[in-house]
Amino acid sequence: MPRNLLGIRHLAQDDINELISLAADFKLRIIEGKAVPELSKEVVGMLFFENSTRTRVSFEQAAHYLRMKTANFSAGSSSMSKGETLKDTILTLRYERLNGLVMRHRMSGSTALAARYFGGPVLNAGDGQHEHPTQALGDALTVLERKGQIKDLTVAIVGDVEHSRVARSNAWLFSKLGAEVRFVGPRTLIPAHPQLLPGEVYHDLRNGIEGADVIICLRLQKERMAQGLLSSISEYASMYQVNRETLRWANRECLVMHPGPLNRGIEVDDVAADGDHSVITTQIENGIFVRMASLYWVFTSEAKPSSPPELKVKTAKAKTPAKAKRTAAGAKKK
Amino acid sequence: MRTLLKNGRILDPSQDLDIVGHLIIEDSQVVEFGEEVDLSEIDEVYDCTGMWITPGLVDPHVHLREPGQQHKETIVSGTQAAAAGGFSTICCMPNTDPPLDNPALVDFILDKSASPEAGGVFVAPVGALTVNMAGERLTDLSALKRAGIIAASDEGFPIQNSAMMQQAMEFCVQLDLPIMAHCEDLSLTEDASMNEGAVSAMLGLKGMPRSAEEIMVMRNCLLSLHTNCQLHIMRVSTWGAVEMIRQAKYLGAPVTCEICPMHFTFTEEAVGEFDTLFKITPPLRTQLDIDMIYQGLNDGTIDCISSDHSPHASHEVEVPFEEAPFGHSGLESTVGVTLTMLTHRGVLSPLETIRKLSTKPAEILRLEAGTLRPGETPVAQVTVIDPECEWVFDRHKTFSKSKNSPFHGMTLKGKAMLTFCGSEIYRDALFSDDRYTINE
Repeated sequence: MPRNLLGIRHLAQDDINELISLAADFKLRIIEGKAVPELSKEVVGMLFFENSTRTRVSFEQAAHYLRMKTANFSAGSSSMSKGETLKDTILTLRYERLNGLVMRHRMSGSTALAARYFGGPVLNAGDGQHEHPTQALGDALTVLERKGQIKDLTVAIVGDVEHSRVARSNAWLFSKLGAEVRFVGPRTLIPAHPQLLPGEVYHDLRNGIEGADVIICLRLQKERMAQGLLSSISEYASMYQVNRETLRWANRECLVMHPGPLNRGIEVDDVAADGDHSVITTQIENGIFVRMASLYWVFTSEAKPSSPPELKVKTAKAKTPAKAKRTAAGAKKK
Repeated sequence: MRTLLKNGRILDPSQDLDIVGHLIIEDSQVVEFGEEVDLSEIDEVYDCTGMWITPGLVDPHVHLREPGQQHKETIVSGTQAAAAGGFSTICCMPNTDPPLDNPALVDFILDKSASPEAGGVFVAPVGALTVNMAGERLTDLSALKRAGIIAASDEGFPIQNSAMMQQAMEFCVQLDLPIMAHCEDLSLTEDASMNEGAVSAMLGLKGMPRSAEEIMVMRNCLLSLHTNCQLHIMRVSTWGAVEMIRQAKYLGAPVTCEICPMHFTFTEEAVGEFDTLFKITPPLRTQLDIDMIYQGLNDGTIDCISSDHSPHASHEVEVPFEEAPFGHSGLESTVGVTLTMLTHRGVLSPLETIRKLSTKPAEILRLEAGTLRPGETPVAQVTVIDPECEWVFDRHKTFSKSKNSPFHGMTLKGKAMLTFCGSEIYRDALFSDDRYTINE
């Protein structure tokens, strides 16, 4: 089995630490203008069945820094809109000899399905309400840079946890690295049975963010109103907005994070989004470096077979690429 | 032609009979059984030593998919699967394409299932309760009944409007027709694909709350109580539903219910990493539910076991979880799973097992089946089960056209070896040749 990055839930603590330190190393190298490893032989498919600007651009940037070639697909232009099943689309891309896939899809578990049929590495760029692992890795790198450690921090995830893949990935990641995770939100937007999720539930914002070192605000989707899960946006804002006043309840040095896009005036006010506490822009930037790390991590895994593995033409047998070293420090120097 | 089934454990719940003895089929009829039988002029002998001889099994809930969905199953392949599963009578559900809402389609199904290519089992059609199963207008139930339906149901499209359901029940009382009901409040399950619980929360899947099932179980039980309409609740899954049915029976409502093997075998955790083979409605619940289902089976609240045979083609199953259809191909695993999970674990005695797989469903749906008594079924319906046979269920070796079985790879203990419906319609490859002799 090739190495995939489908979710944080399946990762060991060591894997997470490896990914974060790879990302930190890449960041330093990019900023200092030093060389990073080149994966110029790899072609990665960018398969976005659901609209995305930031994640897509971030993965494009990451691939660009690693000298990878990208092949772009989107829901509208792909044959999925002509009725092809996801499995057939994935098999087609496999035999188009793509080496890996970055995939976003509106259905939970769809990237796991793709990984089953693809035969090369698959990176989850967001599957339904399940996971968004690279977002969580970027958030962890951001917290680590500011706080020096993640262990023993209190991380409050505020908002629509029920429908949020960002919430799930972050909860797994921060809890696996030893932080205390809290889910904060109204009863209609917090899972009714959270036992298997790694966090404590708070329905009151004050209790939930009291003493928090990190507040991750989630985007509130307006369609939740149509579903009757909220009575009004203003009521929600009055109860759960992270703003100048409510931030006082958190730790003085508290970080405010948001996966974007922001609904200013709903889940955050301008003070929370742009003030001293905010690390939102750093999150965006770090997103690139963790995606570099993720691409590097899956593509240089020793478990990766040549793709497609069943290719039977003897003369075309792919050579096993020289084993890349497992850290960016092994990159060739210019 | 006189056929001797020799030296088996004869289990006939219709007479509370559990003895070791012989059974004779002559000219397609059971003529005699007991410890001592007339052994003269026997033409063929099946040695059933160590095996059970039971009334032909009856499955109250099968999807044959024809007309319209022959890529999933046909009447021919589905009836062959039934025979291989030990069933001699099956009830087929109306959610075909078009749905079974007019008498011509009933004729079609009865004709096709009686054709020589088919599996040789009796097929008892269940008609649609409303036209196109749209829940808006009742079908011509009297014409459907004359054509041969044995019950009415809107299956997976349950009537939501209570007034409509009450009317349907009034009609069915008059026609003396049972209603089979899948109980689900659709307003609580929109876009949902598994049990609402810890696993759905972890996987980011919208869950079906247990209340969605229980609200409709309760409503339908109340309507049955007040109209006196015979109501058969299909595939219960929650402890609450079992408890409500227990209460409804206590109050005197003419209510019965069934369970499908998936619901007493797996919990929501079986969904694992989005495994669509474990997607079923109502969904797999929790261990507490299974414990209470055991109790319900044991005290008779749960009347019978159905395969809920719901074949789907591979391309329909190999999709993201939320897009996958509900249900599993179950005719050929039901006996093995039931014996493994219930009988061998002491939840049900052998006699009670056969009651729930044969006598009781026949009684509920008034089918001429479920008994070994001579003359009470149109032809001999007999199943021989080896309760000790250990085998690995392989979905690639089934008669069903569809391979969507969550039991694939499981070691099961207990297997249908022979099925008779008039004559032998199925003999398992594991029934050794030494056990069969023809007297020249």
